Amino acid sequence: MQSSTIRTAPSHFARALQCTSPGLIRCPRPCIVAKWLQSRNLTTATPAAQEAIPLRKHLKDEAKRKKADAKRDGNTASTKSGADPRLEKWELTVGIEIHAELNTACKLVSSAPAEVLETDNGGMANSRVAMFDAALPGTQPQFQVATLLPALRAAIAFGCEVQRKSGWDRKHYFHWDQPNGYQITQYYQPFAKDGCLVLDASDGVPALDMQGADRLRIGIKQIQMEQDTAKTTNVGSSTYHVDLNRAGVPLIEIITLPQIHSPQTAAAVVRKIQAVLKSVDSCVIGMELGGLRADVNVSVRERGTSGVGSSYSGVSGLGQRTEIKNLSSFKAVEDAIIAERDRQITVLEAGGVIEGETRGWTLGATETTRLRGKEGEVDYRYMPDADLPPLVIGQDLVKHLTSTLPTLPDQLQQDLQDEYNLSLKDAKTLIDLDNGDRLDFFLRTVHSVTAELSISSQAQIGKMVGNWVLHELGGLLTTHQRSWDDVRITADELRDILVCLHQKRITTRVAKQLLADLFQREPAPAARPCVEQLIETGNLRLRPLSEEEYRDLARRIMDESPEMVKAVREKGQKGKVMWFVGQMVRQGEEGTVEPEQARATIERLMGG
Amino acid sequence: MLPRSVQKWASGCTRSLQPRVCTRPFATSPPRRDAIERDANGHLDVGKLLSIPTWSVASLLTPKDQQTPTPEVSSKQLHHLLRLSALPPPKDTAEEAQMLSTLATQLHFVKEIQKVDTEGVEPLRSLRDETAQGEREAELGMEALRGALEQEEIRGTHHRRIRRKAGGRDGEEGEKWNPLRTAGRKRGRYFVVEGGKEG
Repeated sequence: MQSSTIRTAPSHFARALQCTSPGLIRCPRPCIVAKWLQSRNLTTATPAAQEAIPLRKHLKDEAKRKKADAKRDGNTASTKSGADPRLEKWELTVGIEIHAELNTACKLVSSAPAEVLETDNGGMANSRVAMFDAALPGTQPQFQVATLLPALRAAIAFGCEVQRKSGWDRKHYFHWDQPNGYQITQYYQPFAKDGCLVLDASDGVPALDMQGADRLRIGIKQIQMEQDTAKTTNVGSSTYHVDLNRAGVPLIEIITLPQIHSPQTAAAVVRKIQAVLKSVDSCVIGMELGGLRADVNVSVRERGTSGVGSSYSGVSGLGQRTEIKNLSSFKAVEDAIIAERDRQITVLEAGGVIEGETRGWTLGATETTRLRGKEGEVDYRYMPDADLPPLVIGQDLVKHLTSTLPTLPDQLQQDLQDEYNLSLKDAKTLIDLDNGDRLDFFLRTVHSVTAELSISSQAQIGKMVGNWVLHELGGLLTTHQRSWDDVRITADELRDILVCLHQKRITTRVAKQLLADLFQREPAPAARPCVEQLIETGNLRLRPLSEEEYRDLARRIMDESPEMVKAVREKGQKGKVMWFVGQMVRQGEEGTVEPEQARATIERLMGG
Repeated sequence: MLPRSVQKWASGCTRSLQPRVCTRPFATSPPRRDAIERDANGHLDVGKLLSIPTWSVASLLTPKDQQTPTPEVSSKQLHHLLRLSALPPPKDTAEEAQMLSTLATQLHFVKEIQKVDTEGVEPLRSLRDETAQGEREAELGMEALRGALEQEEIRGTHHRRIRRKAGGRDGEEGEKWNPLRTAGRKRGRYFVVEGGKEG
């Protein structure tokens, strides 16, 4: 029902407005409230537009960018804006604060569910709200112990010292997405301190930052648990819809030390943190779906000086820092830091002074916008929460979780490269794909193949199995547009194919055909022929040809296409030999011609 | 909010569970050990022990005959303070003298309280069981998290990953109430807020 005094947008319009990308408020309003709203990132329509960039695409883009940079730097008459010479004088320092949603069933201090359940319309707005979340008078918080598990795992994964006793504090500010008027956080005594994150060049850290070492350690100052705020959507000029489902969902805030010195490293740090949190099942929703948000603190100083003498948590000699809030993608992190760094250098070179302010970044902008200056700084009046008892964490629990922690991505990657002889790119892809299911499949296959063939080291066949699992199966999945859940090929079937191939009982081409055949058939309850049966019925066994037969076949093909022969013999186009090999394989009987033999024969005939 | 000194005294007493008279940091008289009498069987006459108070807040007030070293509050200052607090000024000099003397004792009281050494004492947050036993009971270890750990499963055989089983709820079943019934303004399933400037 429409009230005549309130001008609200009609519902279809509201839906269209909801689809605007986050951070973009339709009507820019200069008032301080609006700026502060933006700093709280209220227009949180689900950012469906942003998708996770697959690892291989990301690596390709990085390689392209590096090539373009190298080409540009190669030109002596560089038309670059002069950022490079400026960077020789000015040094950037970045500290990152990451807020990540914990993977829990309940909210932090109330018993409402934190996740959407299929039953009872869990997806509706304001359907998962406890009385404390709505701040009804007289309600009390109660710490939900299950939220401790993912938080502790995150702390252990980053090597933090888990504090036995930690406290809960209130951070007071008034806003409609915070019904209680304060957020419950751990300001004075966080539950985990002094961890570290290790990066290397393959994570995307530029060589300049590595400074000759093969690892870069970024210190993590602390990890603390806190509540999330409600979700608000902007509909119409100044009307907001509030959904309290998200109010009170547990978050962890990970604060790094200001030891990051380039925008690419900052983006790499955020990516690494997301990967580590996902691997220990702490935070499984990624940045692109809004489950992880980053705030960055940026400052510059002249190289060799100590800036304005600011310090943060033991790192001293820094310039005045500004904070950029609510960056919601890796690219945004990088671009915002670059824009802010350039702005600060420009101001300082012109003789100005950087003020400690809070700034915002929108996608596609060229400069950060000022949200709140020092005079608009909010006094949060931190005080210990009297309703919640201190958090006391038992050492036995920490020990148990440390011993049962899943393998971290770094270790996994190293193992795959060392024990199974995979390349770095393949190892990384295998770890990321399909939530680790494909890696599990790979490991199962390798182990069973090794057992079957009685080979001692797994490195010999690791690479072959890796290729088949990643590229062959991957290719089949994309051509038939199926997901990994519907792969239908069991590890045993793949083992049979690869064992036959390794023992040279079938050719590679036949093996691929078998794979494709099994891929198409109906899954398990239906009758699936085993690999042996398929080889028998299709007469696909390798019947090796004798030398005579190879030569006859080769000569026949050479007679059929004299121009190609001329190309190889006279023009010296050695590559065309493979064309002959292809022709031989195609024209020979299925499962008889081996490409290596064929190539040897052709080369002998050509040369002789 | 109890004074920190009282909190320190109280925690000192609870730490040691035997009943004994503790030293009181702001006592003006030594502890009266003679007051504790035990009869032939060693039992304590609790009623008699508690009938004579061992401390009174009056010890913090200026005794009538003692010269106060504190600086006097002048009449001008008194009038200024009364104006700042929006209190009515004194009607006559007698009332003014009374106000000044009351103020002097109050200031003496505050100075006595400030003399307490609170070095290393954490401010009180709430009244909780601060004994070692209490802390052991509040500790979250394997027992407390058993339910939550059972809600997880291991996925995969060679590459083992922890997955929380969806749907398992630790807290009580969702309170079936409609939060929107409390709202003055709502639209569908949302609360509506006007974010514009006032007016």
